[in-house]
Amino acid sequence: MGCFFSKKSKRKSAEKENLTPTTTSADTAGNSVPLGNNTDEAPKQYSWDKREKADPKDYTLTGLKDITVGRLPGTLNGKPFVIQDCVNCNIFVLDHSATISIDDCVNCRIVFGPVKGSVFFRDCKDIKCVVACQQFRARDCKKMDVFLCCATQPIIESSTGMKFGCFQYYYPELAFHFKDAGLSIFNNNWSNIHDFTPVSGENNWSLLPEDAKVADFVPAPDPESDFKSVRISTEADRSIVPLTKGGRRKDSEESCLFVFFAGDYTTANARKLIDEATSKGFVLVQTKEVSMKPEDARRVFQNSADDLVEWINKGPVTALELNGDGAVEGCKTIASEVFSGTKIFVSDNKNTSTRDVDSFFNFADMQMGL
Amino acid sequence: QGLLSILRKLKSTPDQEVRILLLGLDNGGKTTLLKQLASEDISHITPTQGFNIKSVQSQGFKLNVWDIGGQRKIRPYWRNYFENTDVLIYVIDSADRKRFEETGQELAELLDEEKLSGVPVLIFANKQDLLTAAPASEIAEGLNLHTIRDRMWQIQSCSALTGEGIQEGMNWVCKSVNSKKK
Repeated sequence: MGCFFSKKSKRKSAEKENLTPTTTSADTAGNSVPLGNNTDEAPKQYSWDKREKADPKDYTLTGLKDITVGRLPGTLNGKPFVIQDCVNCNIFVLDHSATISIDDCVNCRIVFGPVKGSVFFRDCKDIKCVVACQQFRARDCKKMDVFLCCATQPIIESSTGMKFGCFQYYYPELAFHFKDAGLSIFNNNWSNIHDFTPVSGENNWSLLPEDAKVADFVPAPDPESDFKSVRISTEADRSIVPLTKGGRRKDSEESCLFVFFAGDYTTANARKLIDEATSKGFVLVQTKEVSMKPEDARRVFQNSADDLVEWINKGPVTALELNGDGAVEGCKTIASEVFSGTKIFVSDNKNTSTRDVDSFFNFADMQMGL
Repeated sequence: QGLLSILRKLKSTPDQEVRILLLGLDNGGKTTLLKQLASEDISHITPTQGFNIKSVQSQGFKLNVWDIGGQRKIRPYWRNYFENTDVLIYVIDSADRKRFEETGQELAELLDEEKLSGVPVLIFANKQDLLTAAPASEIAEGLNLHTIRDRMWQIQSCSALTGEGIQEGMNWVCKSVNSKKK
């Protein structure tokens, strides 16, 4: 094909049909560029043809060294962002974005506010980051510590020394940025990574220690920097995304399923439950926010289902798994003392609660796959 | 009984089945495109580990679309899906300028494949909704598409996310199938 982009050019040109280009478009120099060889339609005008032209350079950080840089809340507003060739930088993208790619960066500390699409690290080394996104991808990377909130299964390829922990971050606009990016704070697959290039006998990825503190990896911005106005906290109990144990081994055999149905205060209620449960010594293993159909309810909630079907239709449910000896009784007490006026489901007894948890989260995983 | 035989006649011509192969680098938007074609929710899509298939009705055709994972490690498996492909759809992330060379490379190799010889190719210049995206004309030039002589080809700007440009691309796909099957 004689690709300008491609190094190899081994096209065999077999002259079968004399197809003449019939649609063209002008390139930046005004020259006619063929867009096809078998159509008689003129190219249409789309929304991107009509919008105000922007300079991609305004959305790119290139070749920076030893500085603190990024975007303040409200300055990116869902646009894409590109980072390349940065060394020893502190990069704070404190806004929601469409997608972010990071290439050839070394020894950087990075924070990404909620990304609607994918975050893709390529050829990076010695990175410590806090990231919230729909998809997390890394290729040809080495030594990365990632505090992650990811809506889907994170993937790595040809990478080593990748360590993952649960997203922990707060700044005042962060909760809104999650909504703007269409991400739920309850859908976080941070601990189950898919490796496209596993090596037998080795692990290319592992989990960060449970007590790892974000502040030790990605310190808050320098008080003299542009980011001094942003009230950031990396304290675990202030995190917008609830801390989950994820795939780490559970302390107890006893788990309890707690489900809130759609309503105005669901997020606040879920947070209240987490506070109450953790103060009693129980551990939050996982959470999910997912839509259910009546048949799903029957399968998952079994005997309680008929009562709940009308609530399922109001919107997605928010489910939490609490773990610890006495978790079921503990949750039932919290339910009656704190949530007596709220529509909920809580596991009834510790003999069936494991089945509740498995039924629900297996269903949720299926639902959220393809 | 007359009505019944008319109905039988209408149903007796089955929809023509078309096998479409959806390829391109990882993170290009292939699965989002597939879900968009099937009018399904595209707000929660996971990186493809193997492949996805969907059947979609379009303009009297039954399109069987095979969406294959594009990570570098699994591109050698693409060839397992070449056989009997009617149309190749190649998806490019128009905003990923860093990988234009890589995607051009992969496309060039596909067009050299014996088992894909003569198969019409639609190139979707995807992610045009992003302001960092290069226009289709720039991509067409960089890929030297005009030097393709041995098959029908078309490049189409689109956004799999918003749906713009998809229908036009699929119209060309159906047209190219009609041309070939004559």
